[in-house]
Amino acid sequence: MNPFISIMLLSTLVLSTMIVTISSHWLFAWIGLEMNMMAIIPIMMKKPTPRATEASTKYFLTQATASALLMLAIIINLMYSSQWTIMKLFNPTASILMTMALAIKLGLAPFHFWVPEVTQGIPLTTGLILLTWQKLAPISILYQISPSINLHLMITMSFLSILIGGWGGLNQTQLRKIMAYSSIAHMGWMTTILLYNPSLTMLNLLIYIIMTFTMFTLLAQNSTTTTLLLSQTWNTMPIMTTFTMLTLLSMGGLPPLTGFMPKWMIIQELTKNESLLLPTLMAITALLNLYFYMRLAYSTALTLFPSTNNMKMKWQFYPTKQMTLLPTAIVLSTMLLPLTPMFFILL
Amino acid sequence: MSLVHINILMAFTMSLTGLLMYRSHLMSALLCLEGMVLSLFILATLTILNSHFTLANMMPIILLVFAACEAAIGLALLIMISNTYGTDYVQNLNLLQC
Repeated sequence: MNPFISIMLLSTLVLSTMIVTISSHWLFAWIGLEMNMMAIIPIMMKKPTPRATEASTKYFLTQATASALLMLAIIINLMYSSQWTIMKLFNPTASILMTMALAIKLGLAPFHFWVPEVTQGIPLTTGLILLTWQKLAPISILYQISPSINLHLMITMSFLSILIGGWGGLNQTQLRKIMAYSSIAHMGWMTTILLYNPSLTMLNLLIYIIMTFTMFTLLAQNSTTTTLLLSQTWNTMPIMTTFTMLTLLSMGGLPPLTGFMPKWMIIQELTKNESLLLPTLMAITALLNLYFYMRLAYSTALTLFPSTNNMKMKWQFYPTKQMTLLPTAIVLSTMLLPLTPMFFILL
Repeated sequence: MSLVHINILMAFTMSLTGLLMYRSHLMSALLCLEGMVLSLFILATLTILNSHFTLANMMPIILLVFAACEAAIGLALLIMISNTYGTDYVQNLNLLQC
C-alpha cells in the first residue's frame, strides 16, 4: 500500500480510539467509533481477495448496526436527561440498548458470530489490530457507563461468551479462528467483573492485549495460520516452540504465568460480592479454553508431528522478519505474576 | 413518551428488523441502515427543537455527515463484492464458514 495512505489510515485508527477514550460528549465518542470503523476497513482490504472482501463486509454490517443502536441509546438518554455528558445513563431502555450495541462492537455472545469469520479472512497483523486495539474504545465507554448497566443482562452475556468461547474453539484447526474464540472468552471474563470492580476489567484487558500481541507476533514470524504449519515450527525456529507453548499456557490461565493474574483477581472480587456459583462455573469453563491451548502446545512443542522426511531437514536460515518487541512481550506475558501487588496499586 | 416519539421509534425498529432479516440482496441491508440513521436524525431533531436546546442544533447535521460516509463505505464494499460474484446475493458470502 502507498505509504502515505498507510500512514493516514494508521494515524486515523490511533486518533479515533484516543478520541473515544478522552471525550466527555456522547456525540464525540460516537464520532470516534465511526472513524475507527472507517479507518480499519481499508486496512482489512489491503489485499482485495474475496475472503478479505467478505470479512470487511461482515465487519462493516455489524459495526454499522451497533453504531446506529448506540446513537439511538444516546438520543433516548438525551430525551430523558437533556445532557450530553458521558456518565451513567438515565433510562433503563437506553442502558440496555447501549450495552447491547457495545456488546455487538466487542463481539460478546450472543453477538459473537462475526468474530471468527472476520478474523479468518484478514491477514495476521490486521487480525492482531482487530482483536486488541479495536477493543479499547468500546471498553472505555463501558467503563464510563458501568454504574447504570443492567446486572442480569451483563452477567448473562459474559457467561454466555465464556461458554461459547470455550466450546467454539474446540473444533478449530485454523489458528486465527482459535484466537477469535479465545478473544470472545476473554471478553466474557472482562465484562463479568465490570459491574463489581471496573479496574479489574482494565487489568484483564491490559494482560489480554499483551498475551494476544505475543501470540500473534509469534504466529506472524513464520506466517503460520493452521495447526499443521504451527507443528512444523520445531524445524524452522526451534526456540519459538518454547515461547509458543509458554504463551499458550499463559493464555489458558495457569498459575506461575501472567495469565493467571486476571482470573485470580476476578474470582476473588466475585466471591467478595457473595456470588459463588458464577465464579465456580467460570473457572470450570475456563478448562475448555485451556484444552485447545494445550492441544496446540502439545502438537507444537511436546511432540514431533507426523511429516514427510523431506520436511525434517530444513536449512535453518537467520530470521529476516522484524520481531517487533517480541522478547519484551514474551517476558511480559509469562513472568508478570509476582508483580501482582503492583497492578493492584496502579489501577 | 409522546405519540410522535413512539412513531419515530417504530420507524427505527422497522428498519432494524429489515436490516436483520433481509432475504437475498445485500443492498437492502444498506438501505435499511440508511433508514435507521434517517429515523435517528428525525428523532434527534424533534428532541432538540422541542427542548429549545439551541446549542445542539448542529448535532443532527453532523450525524448525517457521518451516516453519509458510512453509506459510501457500504457501497464501496458492495461494489467489491459485485466485482467478484456479479451479483450482491448474500448466499455468495460463504467462504469463511466455521
